[in-house]
Amino acid sequence: MSLADQLVAYLSRQAGRPVHVETLARIPGGASRETYRYDAVTDDGRQGFILRRDPPGSLIETDRRAEFLAIRSFAGKGVAAPEAVVLEPEGAELERPFFIMKRVDGGLASSPFAADPFGTEAQAIGEQFFSIMGRIAAEPLAGLPLLEVFEPPQVGGCWRRELDYWSGVIEADEQHPQPIVRAAMRRLRASPPPPATRVAVVHGDFRNGNFLHDGAGRIIALLDWEMAHLGDPLEDLAWAMDPLWSPGSDGRISGMVSREEALAIWSRSSGLAVDPTALKWWALFASVKGQAIWTSAAKAWRDGGFAEPVLAFSGWFTARRQDEILAAQLAEWGPL
Amino acid sequence: MTPALPDILIGQTVALSAPSPPEAAGDYMVGKLGLLAMLAALAAQEAERGVAVRVAENQAIAEVLNAAGDAVTTPDHDLAWRALDAANAALRRRLIDVHEAAEQRGDGALQRRILELYVAMAADRALSLG
Repeated sequence: MSLADQLVAYLSRQAGRPVHVETLARIPGGASRETYRYDAVTDDGRQGFILRRDPPGSLIETDRRAEFLAIRSFAGKGVAAPEAVVLEPEGAELERPFFIMKRVDGGLASSPFAADPFGTEAQAIGEQFFSIMGRIAAEPLAGLPLLEVFEPPQVGGCWRRELDYWSGVIEADEQHPQPIVRAAMRRLRASPPPPATRVAVVHGDFRNGNFLHDGAGRIIALLDWEMAHLGDPLEDLAWAMDPLWSPGSDGRISGMVSREEALAIWSRSSGLAVDPTALKWWALFASVKGQAIWTSAAKAWRDGGFAEPVLAFSGWFTARRQDEILAAQLAEWGPL
Repeated sequence: MTPALPDILIGQTVALSAPSPPEAAGDYMVGKLGLLAMLAALAAQEAERGVAVRVAENQAIAEVLNAAGDAVTTPDHDLAWRALDAANAALRRRLIDVHEAAEQRGDGALQRRILELYVAMAADRALSLG
């Protein structure tokens, strides 16, 4: 049975009446989930949706329930979260776990490897980008759906939990010895950051390429919540500012705004000060996390029979660029 | 560290020859072909200098290890990718141990030399999208 037939069967059973599926098409990217767009057509009309289904082998082993609940946690809160509709952790007619969101039409996603991805809209996009990040950091945890799957860590324990997790990924998935990232892992463990100012929702992959904008300076959807968790909000800030996502030569973060502007916008929006010592730690951590993801990509690409070229790109070009960034950071940190 | 060139080229063949379901036509296929084209361009860079980079990196690691007191030789008589990567893996594993030991005894000079080596290794292996 084709995916379209499976989807028709599922939607019709759920609705208790015939539902037709039209314009079903896979969307590029989405290395951690297969992502499809489709229109559901009933007697009442037509509506656009996004289907996110687990692939046979995934770049990031995340719980789709956490992603679903993270999106739900921010519905209608001014951070451009899409509207999550339904989660099927057992897969139902689609055989693999999936969830469905309402589709946001008319959006553009920029390449994270473009030198000047936003042109004349860069300032407006940058202000929204870091404001939204700050609003997520400021969101009170009480009552959030995401707490159904995550226990808030202690403010002093955020760093260790993340470092343990991503170090474990490298240990498990490394296929060739990586002295650079291992030196960074040791450095991070030997020089812990100050405790988090507060424990907040961390989007986990907040960067250029993971949001849609309308081409006129407005962010209309924040995507890819699959690594959302609770932790130090500086983690998102450092990840977005990793040099990997800023290939331009003018110093702007992802071609948007300067580092100083980014920090000022984020602080105004979150109500939190940025401790430079803590941010330096989280910046090195961001590169370790990145290298862990690219390491997993290389393994997933091999284990998946070389089928998905996005995994090869991540595990090859991106991994090597991340090593350059890590080596430069380590040189700046100096000897232990 | 990352996929070797032969793996990349095998992957190109697999990705191009695998049948696609109808929903994977259109934008997804355009994106996939764009990625495959980009991988081909990167593969050209790797084919041009990958062997030389590996030989140089193995030599550079061996020099640092020898300076740190190891008696290491670089057995790069076999210039096949697999042989070079196997030698590189052994040298890198030893480098990790030597670096960690230098950290534990506070040998700042050796640590600085190793950190400089990391910068050079990463720069030499870098691929360009431009």
